[in-house]
Amino acid sequence: MLLSPAERSYIYDSLCQKDPIRPDGRTPLQFRPLEATTDFLPGSNGSARIRIADGSECIVSVKSKVVLSEKEANLIEWDVDVSGYRDDSNFVSNLKFSLTDLYMKNFPCEKLKLTAKYSYKLFLDCIIVSHSSYPLTLATMASYLALKSTRLPLLVSEVDDSQVEEQPTFSDDWEKAQYLAEFFKTESFSPPLYITVGIVGENVFVDPSETEEQVLENGLLIGYSEKKCIAPITNLNLATNSNNSNFKGFTPALLISTVDLLKGHLSSIVDALDTLDKQDKEDRTQSIF
Amino acid sequence: MSSLLSITRPTKRDSRSNDYDSDVDMKDAMSEYQDEGSKDNTSVVTPGELVTEDPTWMKGHGTYSLENQTYSSVAGNVLRLNRLLSVIPIRGRYEAETGDYIIGRITEVGQKRWKVDIGCKQDAILMLGSVNLPGGILRRKSESDELQMRNFLKEGDLLNAEVQSVYSNGQAALHTRSLRYGKLRNGVLLKVPSSLIIRQKNHSWNLPGNVSVIIGVNGFIWLSKTSSTSTAPSVNASTNSAQSALASKGGYKPGEGSVSITRLEEESSWEIYSDKNDEISASIRGTISRYHNVIKAMSACELGITEKRICMGYDASMMYADTSMLIEREAQEIICQDIIDSEKMRGD
Repeated sequence: MLLSPAERSYIYDSLCQKDPIRPDGRTPLQFRPLEATTDFLPGSNGSARIRIADGSECIVSVKSKVVLSEKEANLIEWDVDVSGYRDDSNFVSNLKFSLTDLYMKNFPCEKLKLTAKYSYKLFLDCIIVSHSSYPLTLATMASYLALKSTRLPLLVSEVDDSQVEEQPTFSDDWEKAQYLAEFFKTESFSPPLYITVGIVGENVFVDPSETEEQVLENGLLIGYSEKKCIAPITNLNLATNSNNSNFKGFTPALLISTVDLLKGHLSSIVDALDTLDKQDKEDRTQSIF
Repeated sequence: MSSLLSITRPTKRDSRSNDYDSDVDMKDAMSEYQDEGSKDNTSVVTPGELVTEDPTWMKGHGTYSLENQTYSSVAGNVLRLNRLLSVIPIRGRYEAETGDYIIGRITEVGQKRWKVDIGCKQDAILMLGSVNLPGGILRRKSESDELQMRNFLKEGDLLNAEVQSVYSNGQAALHTRSLRYGKLRNGVLLKVPSSLIIRQKNHSWNLPGNVSVIIGVNGFIWLSKTSSTSTAPSVNASTNSAQSALASKGGYKPGEGSVSITRLEEESSWEIYSDKNDEISASIRGTISRYHNVIKAMSACELGITEKRICMGYDASMMYADTSMLIEREAQEIICQDIIDSEKMRGD
């Protein structure tokens, strides 16, 4: 996307002010409204679709497989497909790396263990059907909802099979399948999220739109889970496919204050995602009758 | 403080509750097509729908034929003209018509012409001969003008223009030979589907709150600060410096090789190609983003966009003190309902 110098300076000046004004009037920490559904793919263990009003759309599906624990290096595998980009392009492999990195560091993989020998392996397939701004927030929100709606069949064979040659067997009844949170035996199962943050002068903005991305001085990708900002935190040029002439460095103090700022406010994001997940689950249980 | 993120679940957004009835209407209309000579030529068809079995009709735009039967290839209204049958799509890419007031973005600078993205199937062209050059007077474009084309308009620049003519392949040729047209400054662009724009006599308005709007027929809308000088030829410092910068760079003097009337005129006309914004106060910036969201709301609710409606929407939006709330679907629907209600009250 190309902006004219006049547009660029208008948007930059608006964002640079002491009380910044975003082109669409959002507050600095406000996200664009989303529309989401969960568990709509019958062939996968869990799935979610998220859309933004500008046409961006992302679908994530979670599938599981029983594997021998010792033979697998990691128990979670990402695959990312972005329409309009080759699978071996830099953009797609960067996205894939960022997502793998986030999940390697922050997903309780050890809890996927099924028996002494076997464990579940999760395959997360992410299709970015269309996007205008940097798609990682959308992708992680969709995978958050997909993992929340993921169900795994109930194990009926012995848990301890270290001595016996036996493959795990599962209950035939899908009604007995467990949500990941039940399977992990935790109350608060909260997959990690990426928050994209744009920097202009002293101001920071979450979820910058495509036009905003063009004038940013720097971009941050901040991991977020369970009310705290987590690694990895990286900085990057959010405006892909264009040379961002405003791009420059930022002071470390700004990073620290940004992390502090987000920590206090972002719990409402997770709450919104959880509420939607809960509503969808309620609907599913009702729809049987 | 309002919530930072709102997530909704997809719903069927169909306000028409009598879906069944409209289906019946359509069937009735279908049968009317089939008997020849029916005068009812405003009916809605969907892609792949049989329009007529009569092979005597000539197939126009938006139709295709299989085994001598004519089907619609788009969703739209059937139009019958003599023996020509075509379907006018309800929605789709903008199609340029001569005389349209449009906004475009330069994508390419070429031999004596610019390519302009106007949201059409093909980029429009703007010939060097169809723009006003600095120098103020009408003259032949010289070779040095050709070499300096990037100083006037470069890739990414926004301009408003008029469609001068449309070639047989649908490509549009533009012109900016009026003081109304030219480079756009001091504001933001937003895009809406071109089907929502109603062609009118006037497409550029001053709105309350010191904001101007240009509604391009192609669905590009420009919101900017109302210029304080109503194009009085004043020389300000910024244009002076812009010109001197250019002059030092290329050694090019506007209107070189031609007789210009006054020095003043030369300098003032450089203003039309300036990239510098004026001082814009925070309150005007706030008002612009409010108008931005009002227009977005109208486009989200598929409401035709006119200057009157923008003003009404702006008034309606005032019940939300915070502009950030206007991006929520609920607020958008309330504003649009308000516009429709106030139109009914006025009896429009």
